[in-house]
Amino acid sequence: MRRCRPSPAWALGLAAVGLLAMLGKAGAETLLRTRLNADIRSTDPGTNRDANTDGVIGHVVEGLVAFREDTSIGPMLADSWTVSNEGKTYTFRLRQGVKFHNGATMTSDDVVWSLKRWLDPATQWRCLSEFSTTGIARIEKIEAPDPQTVAITLDQPTALFLPTLARPDCGQTAIIHRDSVGADGKWIAPIGTGPFKLAEWKRGQYVDIVRFDGYVSRSEPRTGYTGAKDAKVDRVRFNVIPDSSAAKAGLLSGSLDVIMSLSTPDLEGLKSQPEVQLSITPGLALTGILFQTRDPLLKDVRIRRAIALSIDTPQIVDAVMEGTARPNNSALPIGSPFYGEVQSHGYQQNLVEAKKLLVLAGYHGQPIKMITNKRYTYVFDSAMLVQAMAQAVGINIEIEVLDWATQLDRYNRGDYQSMAFTYSARLDPSLSFEMLTGPKASQPRKVWDNAEAQEMLRQSMMIDDRAKRQALFDEMHRRFIADVPMIVLFNNSELTALRKSIKGYAGWLYPQPRFWGVAVE
Amino acid sequence: MLGYLARRLAMTIPTLLLVAIAVFALVRLIPGDPVQVMLGDAADPAQAAELRAQLGLDQPIPVQFVHWIAKLATGDFGHSITNNLAVLPLILDRFQVSAVIVLVAVGLAACIAVPAGLAAAWKQNSLLDLSVVGGATLLLSIPSFWLGLLLLLLFGLKLKWLPVIGYVPFAENFWQAATFIVLPIVTLTMVEIGVLTRMARAASIEVLRLEYVTHARAKGVPEWRVLARHVLPNAFAPTWTLIGLVLGHLLGGIAVIETVFTLPGLGRLLVDSIFARDYPVVQGCLLFTAVIYVVVNLIVDLCYPLFDPRVAVA
Repeated sequence: MRRCRPSPAWALGLAAVGLLAMLGKAGAETLLRTRLNADIRSTDPGTNRDANTDGVIGHVVEGLVAFREDTSIGPMLADSWTVSNEGKTYTFRLRQGVKFHNGATMTSDDVVWSLKRWLDPATQWRCLSEFSTTGIARIEKIEAPDPQTVAITLDQPTALFLPTLARPDCGQTAIIHRDSVGADGKWIAPIGTGPFKLAEWKRGQYVDIVRFDGYVSRSEPRTGYTGAKDAKVDRVRFNVIPDSSAAKAGLLSGSLDVIMSLSTPDLEGLKSQPEVQLSITPGLALTGILFQTRDPLLKDVRIRRAIALSIDTPQIVDAVMEGTARPNNSALPIGSPFYGEVQSHGYQQNLVEAKKLLVLAGYHGQPIKMITNKRYTYVFDSAMLVQAMAQAVGINIEIEVLDWATQLDRYNRGDYQSMAFTYSARLDPSLSFEMLTGPKASQPRKVWDNAEAQEMLRQSMMIDDRAKRQALFDEMHRRFIADVPMIVLFNNSELTALRKSIKGYAGWLYPQPRFWGVAVE
Repeated sequence: MLGYLARRLAMTIPTLLLVAIAVFALVRLIPGDPVQVMLGDAADPAQAAELRAQLGLDQPIPVQFVHWIAKLATGDFGHSITNNLAVLPLILDRFQVSAVIVLVAVGLAACIAVPAGLAAAWKQNSLLDLSVVGGATLLLSIPSFWLGLLLLLLFGLKLKWLPVIGYVPFAENFWQAATFIVLPIVTLTMVEIGVLTRMARAASIEVLRLEYVTHARAKGVPEWRVLARHVLPNAFAPTWTLIGLVLGHLLGGIAVIETVFTLPGLGRLLVDSIFARDYPVVQGCLLFTAVIYVVVNLIVDLCYPLFDPRVAVA
């Protein structure tokens, strides 16, 4: 037998290559440092989660489909899909050669395993109820006819199937490798397909994600949560910094590169800093004034309408958001593809008409309590301005400031006369109306209890035809404005401050950062 | 001595039990619950109910209390609702951060405040006294968050001598860790100097008026010896009690400083948990703080005879 011995020259070459690799690694790691205002809840997508968790995990895992920049649905891990069986069967063609972070190649088996895990009640998936009898549709069958194809059959057609799969709070219904959980079914860590993989989570301090070198990017340009995802930095560190002034100081001193979710008062100080650039993007979250339509006083639509006519929405938005947001009285966000001419018609300030309505309603200065909070300064400021403007026509609003958890409790019980409130982003117009519309008897948190609107909402969730959906949303908008169950004021903006050395960052409608395509110079 | 210790420790049990009951009940009296905060404005009632059941929050409050106490008896403080971490390790981890800052700051403050108070008392109504009292009052009146932010602005942003945000544990890198806690310590020291100087001064003035001081002076004992031998030990006893109270108070409650300097301390953990209605963590933090209070005061009492021979521990 001939023994194989490496020659000295060969060994020397190997050593040199190793040394070079080590040097390259040690010297050139690019790091992007950003901030979370609270620690993430877990690394398990769509289960024990909050917005911070979604934001970090959105870099690590991907689903079959994802939201594009304009909130329409695009393919992500799926290459394409067809809908058959009267809108009940979705057949996805998977992309070839997609790698998990452990090097394994994704096949339809992984997709079926992941989907079945989500649908297992033991997983405690946030969006499981969407696929139960009370949700949008039940999933009857998940099949994998070949390694590149997955077919999902629902019990009824719904326009919300793909948007629900893509929802960031559902963990984008991530396709993960089965080694993400242990033999006992317990969560270990995400082995996803995203452009970054999870590196280290130091609880209460930071979460690190590092570039996944085996990532196979889509070819179309970056859009929303899909398109090309080219990780240009080696590592992204999400520092947990609850205090916003400390975060701003960190950005100015150079110990942070990006801070998101700024409030408008922050902008003034940052604008003048030479080393800082700002990214201002219109968002989907919605701020407005809710009315309890069951309240003995406010059940009279004339009083609600008088309040709506007493205020000057553009002026409020200008003062509160300092030019970063546009006024909008519609339940649909301005950025939605369904926001059109109809939605742009809201309330025009008309003090004469407001006074007339108050006289007709027999209102004579009875106090109206309005709950607000200081966790969100724009909510507090909006309440103050509405109070002041309504006073001009003799409406007596008394402000009550609560902490956010207490206000949420009152909101969920419908226990208020009026409140200034902010809703988080909804990515589909049906969901925008769904968060407001419903029977108060069984869902006290809903502000708009109108049987016809509920029926239109139900239809909008069933049909996939765009023109028909648009017609439904237009009609719902007209009735929403006439009923005044709430006054929508504006959609919040996503304000991000970055150091000038950061290139390629872009905000989008959804309030989550994307650090692919972003470079540190 | 041992009997005294055993008796004092036994006496703390009813105290802690009362604290436990009060804490448990009060936390639940605040409107809102952890499930609502977790689910936010998108709380589907079915989903909320399911989550409540998972967390055991659907059971009657007395049952929840009994569960909690039974677990406490075995040393299990439960798990955080928001991130599922074990509460006791979480508290101990955060406590280390607060403890280092508080112990160093109060130690430094005492080293400065006691001599300053003594000097001011010795030269009562002089310019020295006036400036010490004025300085102490000024330090007392400055809000700690404001002072902290100013120091951050000066040393972090303008001079760039110290890092502005973050925290490194001492175990990881001693010098780097030190740079992160210099400013919080300075802030807290300055505030506490104000409190302690006034106490040290008042106590010293009282002792200086006593007959044995006059006697010592009349005997011709040198003035430094009068101060060091007769005044300081006797004047230090009340200050020592105050240091005990201050320590007990601060070890659980420097949330403001921790927030300004983004330190993962116990106070911030408590405040964040209250906002999130994270019952097990709030209960754990408050009970832990109560234990610290009791222990610190016990240690102070045990040390008392060292300064004041008239007090005997028996």
